[in-house]
Amino acid sequence: MLARLVDLAVSAVLLAGLYATMAYGLGLIYGVLRVVNLAHGGVIMAGAYIGWVLFGWAHLDPYLSIPIVVVACFALGAVTYRLLVRHLPRGAAGGPASLLLLFGVWLVLRNAAYLLFTGDDQAIRTTYSTRSVALFGTYLSVNRLAVLGVAVVTPLVLHFVLRRTYLGRAIRAVGQNPDSCTLVGIDVGRIYTVTFGIGTALAGLAGLLAATIFSFNPSSGSSELLKSFVVVVLGGLGSFLGTGLAALILAVVEVFAILVLPSYLTAAVGFVMLVVVLVLRPGGLFGHRVLG
Amino acid sequence: MHRPVRHALQVRIAALAAAALAAALPGAAPAAEKAKIVIGATLPLTGAEARVGGFFKEGYDLAFEQANKSGGIQVGNKKLPVELILQDDTSTQATAVSLADRLVNSDHVDFLLGTYGSTLVEAQSTVGDQNRIPYVNGGGAATKIHKRKFKYLFGLLAPVELLGQTLMQWIDGEQKAGKLPKPSKIAVVWENTAHGKDFRTGISEYVKKSGGAYQIAVDESFELNGKDFGALLGKVKAAGVDLFLVDAHLPDYITMHRQYVQAGLCHKVVSYGARGSEKAAVEALGAENVEYVVSGVWWSPLLAEKSPLARDFVQAFKARYGGRDPEWFQALGYESARALFTAIQKAGKVDREAVREQLSHLSMPSLLPGGTLVLDAKHGFQAQNAFVVQQNMKDGTSPIIYPKDIATGQGVGANPRCAK
Repeated sequence: MLARLVDLAVSAVLLAGLYATMAYGLGLIYGVLRVVNLAHGGVIMAGAYIGWVLFGWAHLDPYLSIPIVVVACFALGAVTYRLLVRHLPRGAAGGPASLLLLFGVWLVLRNAAYLLFTGDDQAIRTTYSTRSVALFGTYLSVNRLAVLGVAVVTPLVLHFVLRRTYLGRAIRAVGQNPDSCTLVGIDVGRIYTVTFGIGTALAGLAGLLAATIFSFNPSSGSSELLKSFVVVVLGGLGSFLGTGLAALILAVVEVFAILVLPSYLTAAVGFVMLVVVLVLRPGGLFGHRVLG
Repeated sequence: MHRPVRHALQVRIAALAAAALAAALPGAAPAAEKAKIVIGATLPLTGAEARVGGFFKEGYDLAFEQANKSGGIQVGNKKLPVELILQDDTSTQATAVSLADRLVNSDHVDFLLGTYGSTLVEAQSTVGDQNRIPYVNGGGAATKIHKRKFKYLFGLLAPVELLGQTLMQWIDGEQKAGKLPKPSKIAVVWENTAHGKDFRTGISEYVKKSGGAYQIAVDESFELNGKDFGALLGKVKAAGVDLFLVDAHLPDYITMHRQYVQAGLCHKVVSYGARGSEKAAVEALGAENVEYVVSGVWWSPLLAEKSPLARDFVQAFKARYGGRDPEWFQALGYESARALFTAIQKAGKVDREAVREQLSHLSMPSLLPGGTLVLDAKHGFQAQNAFVVQQNMKDGTSPIIYPKDIATGQGVGANPRCAK
């Protein structure tokens, strides 16, 4: 039984890494712009395809292609903001208008992918795709360990940027009070563009990492968006540490639920938890912070 | 208005109304007045099922081309060409239903061919019964589609229950040959869909009748497009089963089998239901990791070695599509159209009721396993042809290993990879 519990604990930690990676971008954009980025799922899918194209055509390892995917998705996010999102009235940015707009962006991305790549399922298979290492009497997937590493490093980097750089401080300030920022000379529009770009880049990164684990097609991204949403709400909107911990809690609950529930119900446990948290602690398990 | 004029007007209106009524009534158009037979169909040519929808289109196109090449279908004493009006249902239920309705009520097609996918067929086939128009499909296998007692719905895909049973029949042969332990412990893992439930039913019904030769130690389902099967596989590992029998679509097959390999699992028989030998899976998982995986499909081009009809189809398909081998999708599309053509020919007239009557007890030589296609009320007008069991071999081939009369190779009962 102990071996089984260790197996489950390891599975949960590795799964948490994936969930956290998927959720950081959504949390960042909401934390600063108060926009629920419904295109998040589409960008995850796009990140997977960019990595797949680079792997197939240029034989570039997915982990080496991280900078290219991040830059490409940053550009996609920045352009999306400048061309579309910024035209929404600031007060209504988080409202139905932005939901509809970004859902439309997702549909465009999805159909563009259908046009370019057809509906076939694709996957990235490297020499280490099915490799694992033995640890604690169980096997750990090399790919999932790498994803966990990225999931740990990402908030550290973001934390450093947000705390120690002018850009980061400006992002936090804009997240707290954009009107006051305008008064002190911060270019709020530029900060929003950069933030939307970073959030989108993080979604693209998550897509690339997911593509090393799962197969994907143009319809991929919806379940990733839902999980991200659960993690971000559980963790408290705008809190990276909260996001990481919420991802861990969600993964632990889902994985250990198999001990008492049929497998097909374990995914629903997270959503039940979401409802309970929204009722009891609307600010999330770790409260509502702005990018800390 | 003068009385005679008014009377003439009334007569004209009555005649027009009668004509309109006659046109609206199903099966009203007599064969003698028909210059061609118009058949409507939708397929998922875009959207999630676009790839397979395209394959079905290839099958339909080939069947129509062949029928028209010989002057059309023999209807009574004359030949009538057949025309296919094909629409893209975008892989969505609502579009599939509304387009089928349009085909019947605006385009006035004579008959319908079905779309692909159990969920789409389940929704769309209601149009057939509502309008009393025969609906022949090769893309919906879920048993529940045919349990609704529809009179105008005919399906060529054998139920997925048979897939589970056919796999078990092959496994039973291996057990009786002493290659598998008795009793064998089974993990049956199935996607939480009608497809998966039918698979599970097929396995569990067989186990119940086996007299203790098999025990189901793990019986678990999972949601489609799962992100992590670690906990589920841990349960399978803890149960110490001999046979790992899964029903999964391609994305879940890839994700689950990657984790299966990473977890160092190995079982004497590994199957992912209809999945196993696809090029996409081999590319995603690596040929060495899918060795000895057993799969069951509705049709295989390897049947051409044993069946003249399958051979003719494969040759015609290759000639039309640049030497490419057909998969079961194209074969079922082709055969669905051929079944409808045969029923029209047997009816001897382009009449929906007469054709429905012929389809309801159809028995015709077929390229499907078994060589005969039979539709009858006992099985809800769903074909019951056996599945073709294939196994991935070390040399990269996937011969048919069961049923024995159409086998092109010998199966390997106890997975040699587990001995390493």
